[in-house]
Amino acid sequence: MTSFIQTLILGLLVGALYALMASGLTLIFGVMRVINLAHGAFAVLAAFLTFTLWKHLGLDPILSIPIVMAVMFAVGWLVYVAVIRHVRGSHVSMTVLATFGIALMLEGIMGFIWGNTSTAVRVSYTDASIALGPLYIPQVMLIAAGIAMLILGGLYLLLNHTWAGRAIRAASANEAGALLVGVSVATIAALTFAIGVSTLGAGGAMLSTIYPFLPGSHYQWIARLLAIVVLGGLGSLPGAILGALVIGVGEIAATSYLGAAWPVAVPFLVIIVVLITRPQGILGARLREDAVA
Amino acid sequence: MRRTTAFRAMVGIAAIALAVSACSADSPNNGDTITIGASLPLTGEFSQGGLDTQHGYETWVEMTNEAGGLLGKQVKVIVRDDATTQDTAVSNYNNLISKDKVNLVLGSQSSLLNIPSSAVAEKNKMLFVCPSCGSPDMYNRGFKYIFFSQQTVATDQAKVFAEWIANLPADQRPKTAAYPTLDDPFAGPVVEGAEKILSAAGIKTVYKDQYPATTKNFDPIVNAMRDAGAEIVVQGAQFEDGVNMIRSMNRAGYKPSIVYQSSSPTYGQQYLEGVGEQNAEGVFFSSSYSSLAKTNQNAEFVKKFEEKFGGLPPEDAADGFAAGQVLAAAVTAVGSIDDQAKLADWLRNNTVQTILGPLSWNADGSPKGNFLVGQWQGGVSQVVLPPDVATTDKIVGWQGGPI
Repeated sequence: MTSFIQTLILGLLVGALYALMASGLTLIFGVMRVINLAHGAFAVLAAFLTFTLWKHLGLDPILSIPIVMAVMFAVGWLVYVAVIRHVRGSHVSMTVLATFGIALMLEGIMGFIWGNTSTAVRVSYTDASIALGPLYIPQVMLIAAGIAMLILGGLYLLLNHTWAGRAIRAASANEAGALLVGVSVATIAALTFAIGVSTLGAGGAMLSTIYPFLPGSHYQWIARLLAIVVLGGLGSLPGAILGALVIGVGEIAATSYLGAAWPVAVPFLVIIVVLITRPQGILGARLREDAVA
Repeated sequence: MRRTTAFRAMVGIAAIALAVSACSADSPNNGDTITIGASLPLTGEFSQGGLDTQHGYETWVEMTNEAGGLLGKQVKVIVRDDATTQDTAVSNYNNLISKDKVNLVLGSQSSLLNIPSSAVAEKNKMLFVCPSCGSPDMYNRGFKYIFFSQQTVATDQAKVFAEWIANLPADQRPKTAAYPTLDDPFAGPVVEGAEKILSAAGIKTVYKDQYPATTKNFDPIVNAMRDAGAEIVVQGAQFEDGVNMIRSMNRAGYKPSIVYQSSSPTYGQQYLEGVGEQNAEGVFFSSSYSSLAKTNQNAEFVKKFEEKFGGLPPEDAADGFAAGQVLAAAVTAVGSIDDQAKLADWLRNNTVQTILGPLSWNADGSPKGNFLVGQWQGGVSQVVLPPDVATTDKIVGWQGGPI
């Protein structure tokens, strides 16, 4: 029983980090129908920014989160204006190609600036744990989960209690309708993309304290994040959170009870089952093809 | 008007393309130069080792040219990035041989990339001196041109370490062992070789599992090892997985007295920064190289490397340099590079003095020697075994504890 509870604790903590990282991806798809394959690369970029602030200014990664989020917001806006807006509304293959191109470009730029060697941020809480009898809670994961709850809570408030949030939800639900009631969908799309990349900034900052990373790490992250949003339902924020927790617990449980090779397979097996039984994902909405913008 | 603009654009693009092709037409092979081609993972998962190997190659080229070159000609190395993908590595070697017309090739980094890459060299009857070909699978294909320029294949890389553990007094010898390993043609055999020796010594295997390269979270693996009561951990690691394992062991409060990792600790400063000096203390690893060794050209290599790149050379850089030494020895002895079967025959029948020590090979190109066993002590990578080449006589447990 102790082992099961420990597995559950570790899985939920990892899932919370995944949720923070996946929230932007699903938000961007929800509003723009853009599958952002550069999302993993943005996460690694945020990790490198955190590393730079820690290494050169001695700034604790937790304290650097607002700065990293602000920088990532600007990066997201710029990327939207420079690339995404030109392919938005095109066939999905175009957006996939464009965002994959951005990912490759970011990988190259990061390699040029920080080098293609593995980088790690080590702080006092990286290796520390809180003991609860026979159980332990890794401090860094607990902090990451706390920050995830804070940021996701903020995102919820933004989406549900502000004009911009309502506009984002309106554009997500019905772009033409949103235009008719005076929402500047183009601006909202840029804002959404920037917010999506910005929330990822917090995820990337915490990521840097948990795992080593290098520019090429983004391939591993995008695969995992896509699995999460597909599982939760593309475009659904609560779905992404639920999907992230399911994948997080699934990965840890698979390693514990099936073997270390299974965490790669289990999430995708879960997704296959979910997509067969519920194609729109756990919390995704079923859409008519001709109703999608 | 639009057609004119489009036409101008096309002419412009064509002009740029011509200019670029003219630049690349700068033949790498012009009679006064011996050109050597290599594909390396300069980006992607194995970029850490790939860049180090590139530094080793470059240092060897510079020192060779300063000493008069090879066969009286200057040496030039062309390195292509394979982004840690096998297909690109194969494509790179095909292009280096058929388009760039390189005179010689050197191997890539990691068995994963060298297994298919060596087949390209073999098909083209070109000598393939390889700095990172530890997988035993490299040598069961009947190839005649491949030579691994380290002391031994992966199966025997932990041999000296495992035999030392097996020969510890019974009251010091651990009774249970865990063997987590990366699913990789190099890392797996290292652990298998160690387990064979330790099992024969009565050390019970209580955990053994293989994890994929995408594994980031090692907490459940560490939990399983801890719950199984493993007193020694032997991990077949690349780099990040080694760092993540140590971090997870700390988080779980799991402190086995002996920790061995196959490759990760050899990444020098990167490893120290990843796990922290205190957590690196006492970690065992097998190493082909010591910067303190009194081997052929080692002092000059260390000096040149520090000048060029700063800091002590990591193992992969030294392995790259040694590959160059092996290639140079064969070319110099044969006196020609026209028939590379002769170069291969020469290597099969001779010993080459390198910065790693003397290297000699079996008929299949696998090396005949033994690895050194290293250990991190006080932030310094020391050689602790075998005793006759050890740089210190002190051996400690993980995090400085007793064995």
